[in-house]
Amino acid sequence: HLIERSWYAVTETCLAFTVFREDFSPRFVAMFTFLLFLKCFHWLGEDRVDFMERSPIITWVFHLRVAALLMFLGIIDAFFINHAYYSTITKGATVQLVFGFEYAILLIVVVNVFLKYVLHTIDLQSENPWDNKAVYLLYTELFLGFFKVILYMAFMAVMIKVHTFPLFAIRPMYLTMRAFKKALNDVIMSRRAIRNMNTLYPNATPEELSSGDNVCIICREEMVSACKKLPCGHIFHTNCLRSWFQRQQSCPTCRMDILRAPIPTGQQQGQQTPQQQQQQQQQANMMPGQGPMMPQFPGGFPMFIPPMVPGQFPMQQQQQPSTTQPASSTTATPTTSTSTQPTAVPGGAATTYTMPGSTMAGFPGISPYMMPPMFSPPFTPPPMPPANFAGMNDEELRAMEGIERSHVEARVQCLRSIHTLLDAAMIQIQQYYSLMSTMGPQANMYPAPASASASAPAPGVGTTPAEPTKQSDSVKGETQAATSEKPSSLQSDEDLSDLEGAVGFTPVEEVIIPEYHDEPVDEIDHQEIRRRRIERLESETNLAALDKESETK
Amino acid sequence: MAGSALKRLMAEYKQLTLNPPEGIVAGPSNEENFFEWEALIVGPEGTCFEGGVFPAKITFPPDYPLSPPKMKFTSDMFHPNIYPDGQVCISILHAPGDDPMGYESSAERWSPVQSVEKILLSVVSMLAEPNDESGANVDASKMWRDDRQQFNKMARRLVRKSLGL
Ligand SMILES: [Zn+2]
Ligand SMILES: [Zn+2]
Repeated sequence: HLIERSWYAVTETCLAFTVFREDFSPRFVAMFTFLLFLKCFHWLGEDRVDFMERSPIITWVFHLRVAALLMFLGIIDAFFINHAYYSTITKGATVQLVFGFEYAILLIVVVNVFLKYVLHTIDLQSENPWDNKAVYLLYTELFLGFFKVILYMAFMAVMIKVHTFPLFAIRPMYLTMRAFKKALNDVIMSRRAIRNMNTLYPNATPEELSSGDNVCIICREEMVSACKKLPCGHIFHTNCLRSWFQRQQSCPTCRMDILRAPIPTGQQQGQQTPQQQQQQQQQANMMPGQGPMMPQFPGGFPMFIPPMVPGQFPMQQQQQPSTTQPASSTTATPTTSTSTQPTAVPGGAATTYTMPGSTMAGFPGISPYMMPPMFSPPFTPPPMPPANFAGMNDEELRAMEGIERSHVEARVQCLRSIHTLLDAAMIQIQQYYSLMSTMGPQANMYPAPASASASAPAPGVGTTPAEPTKQSDSVKGETQAATSEKPSSLQSDEDLSDLEGAVGFTPVEEVIIPEYHDEPVDEIDHQEIRRRRIERLESETNLAALDKESETK
Repeated sequence: MAGSALKRLMAEYKQLTLNPPEGIVAGPSNEENFFEWEALIVGPEGTCFEGGVFPAKITFPPDYPLSPPKMKFTSDMFHPNIYPDGQVCISILHAPGDDPMGYESSAERWSPVQSVEKILLSVVSMLAEPNDESGANVDASKMWRDDRQQFNKMARRLVRKSLGL
């Protein structure tokens, strides 16, 4: 590439001469040739020093040559700079200005090459690998790049002031700027890599190093000490890893993206989990570290198996879609349209049991007892935050939360999805209610058919206390709405306390417990429990609504 | 102490001389510069390149193995994944991030796990099964797809040429 570089040098210098046409003389042609000649020697010296890293055999003759060459070039450069300086002082701005500037740049090159040479030499002399050499080289590059940029700026300024815009200096100036930017970037990346290395990854233990294959995949040498273990379990030399991280933030072996990877304590589980695992996942320290918290349930809902197949009912349903209720369902649920739906049972007395305040989310054209097909895919839960954040340091927490727009959007999306889920849960509950109300008279009037009694054995009034339990359970995705009869009010209280974390739990308002006109005597206790529960729910709803507001802001 | 790139290249060279893979010879072109290698690749059996011996040059960057080396055939080649100037274009030789063809998945890109041996084995399998999605040599790609007979004829001519016949 020596020829290519010379070609550029020639064209640029010719351009420079067009600016100083009046100075053109054989003497300047000679000076220009000499400059080109010297430039070639500079490039040669650079190549020689780079060669030190490539060859296993470095003789003392080589050292002597390189040292002598660098010394010689440095002296000549300094001499010409001096000459150009006095010439400019005494005679004003002539072509000597350009020469002086060129030699100044060359002098910086010499200094750079010399520093590299010193670093390489020190490295060659020492027995052990010199780990910080790469860092020193980076900083050398950075500072000398900075000097060069300053020099070009100054030259530009002077030239514009004295003559005209120096077109010939554009290309080298651009190259210098780019090199400086790259050096700066390298230094930043290196610092970041070192910081990550020190904070995020544990040192490999001696047992890990001694067990099995302990060859570092980057340098192909044995790992004895100073090794780091990545979250994926791969072990490397600290220094090898650092230089790799300067380029890429991934594991060299398995390419796992280490910046987005879960912290080792995290537990990764398969996606299509059955119900029990969903609950486990909530308890396990599931780290949502894989980038922004992706809401993973587009349209999916927690195992909502249709509570009852319409065929199970001996009676016919009549749907009377009426006005939507504005207060309950909010924007985030485009699929669910709420409508009050008093279900009438042919049988005369059934009309007594229509629920006055209950809202019924019906899908147009679909029987409320059938889940719409879009709910069928198994629910994949979003990564749940760990129950306890105490085990994480600030860094991890911050990484988990994320500050970019995409993270915030993902969070909002997540909240919306929760909202949709809750709405769906409400639909379930209301369907259940209406069922109960229709089952009640039926059970009373006829000896209950076997199929119906299997799914809803108790008369409606008996099972009502279980409703809030259902609600909270279905939020957790652990209960099929079909499993009826969980008569424990204690349990429901516990479950409600679990709900406190669920932000966006607004649709609770929709639970309006139907008033039963004919109450058996033993219903009083239940009434009392229900009342307390409603109170509690309402207070929590307010809290949750507040939470949500602050969250979306 | 020599640089880490040099040490790794020396280790790989040693490995390649101790356990040479079949049909591949590779090593530094001169012992003073370990960053320029020469390789000889024997055309894989049962393909149109069978019997040929193709010389190539491998150039390593100063930051090897963090950056991939470059490989260039020094004999004439006619292949969908080899540029007319001999430069080999396979995904293992591309660092993740630079994808000249825009079709490679990053899983098969360069990483320090790869080695000279793996590169050369990939090149052998590339000779056996060209990837015609790559456009390193469009004429060769076209011919490989549309006129296999002609392609095989070209390849056999190159084989004879590589043997000096
Ligand atoms: Zn290593
Ligand atoms: Zn890994």
